[in-house]
Amino acid sequence: MADQTERAFQKQIGIFQNSKIKKNRDKRWYREVGLGFKTPKEAIEGNYIDKKCPFTGDVSIRGRILTGVVVSTKMKRTLVLRREYLHFIPKYQRYEKRHKNLPAHVSPAFIGINHGDLVTVGQCRPLSKTVRFNVLKVKKADVKSKKFEKF
Amino acid sequence: MGISRDSRHKRNATGAKRAQYRKKRKFEMGRQNSLTKLGSKKIHTIRVRGGNLKYRALRLDSGNFSWGSEAITRKARIVAVVYNASDNDLVRTNTLVKNAIVQIDATPFRQWFETHYGVVLGKKKTDEEEKKVSNHVQRKLESRKTQSKIDSNVKDQFAAGRLYACISSRPGQSGRADGYILEGKELDFYVRKIKSKK
Repeated sequence: MADQTERAFQKQIGIFQNSKIKKNRDKRWYREVGLGFKTPKEAIEGNYIDKKCPFTGDVSIRGRILTGVVVSTKMKRTLVLRREYLHFIPKYQRYEKRHKNLPAHVSPAFIGINHGDLVTVGQCRPLSKTVRFNVLKVKKADVKSKKFEKF
Repeated sequence: MGISRDSRHKRNATGAKRAQYRKKRKFEMGRQNSLTKLGSKKIHTIRVRGGNLKYRALRLDSGNFSWGSEAITRKARIVAVVYNASDNDLVRTNTLVKNAIVQIDATPFRQWFETHYGVVLGKKKTDEEEKKVSNHVQRKLESRKTQSKIDSNVKDQFAAGRLYACISSRPGQSGRADGYILEGKELDFYVRKIKSKK
């Protein structure tokens, strides 16, 4: 069903592919993650297999929902977000800029995420050593604005 | 045991080396790998956290395998390990692990098929005598005739008496090597992999 690039056969666990009834084969399972997030069309119609995808895999979204700006997409199926915030120094009654980087898993349902896009991520169980979040929604960056925005 | 499953010994995401501030705890312990081989059944029982038991299979020779499309499960002898996606060494040493592709003895399934559908699989002997079956059984066999068609690549395996199956239990945890018979796209995928290895 999917593009089988790994050494083991990739499939969605839990759906039976070898039914004798022809129309029960090639079924794709997907879920709605809740909290008002729309499950992308590519997740429903696509062919990919990703057990860490929030729409077609075995992770549930619960806990925090955060947003950030994409900083790096060089990793396989995961990206790094940058979350900026202002920290108040009481002595000088002024703010300073601080940021934290957050690695998040990005499902193959989202194609064409670039550096600078605004992304909403939801907390899930630990997927790897540093990844605890999963991308739920992407908003493309408009090319012009370059000023610092608080999220 | 020495094997601990903590993350305190690993470096941070930033690369910083974490200082050790406490000793290893028992709840973080890990145990040695049980590389369960093919052979006469040998299972050690282990007391784990909470007083529960884990069955560490050290040698297994058979398992409960299910034929998905027919929805039956039979105990079958495991003949050999044929493919492992993680490590070729585990194939060479015939080690049973979850998701290993093995060859199992086809006779329990062939016998079931013959009694259920009345159709002989595999070799077709020319001197087959007509077995007398009762009227009731005859009617049952007739009604099942339309469903008796199975995948051709599974059917060919019956001729050799060996079916490809995938282990889906964890022998080192449950002490069993149960699994399912490969069919359809999955079977094609693994047959291709095995052939390209040879």
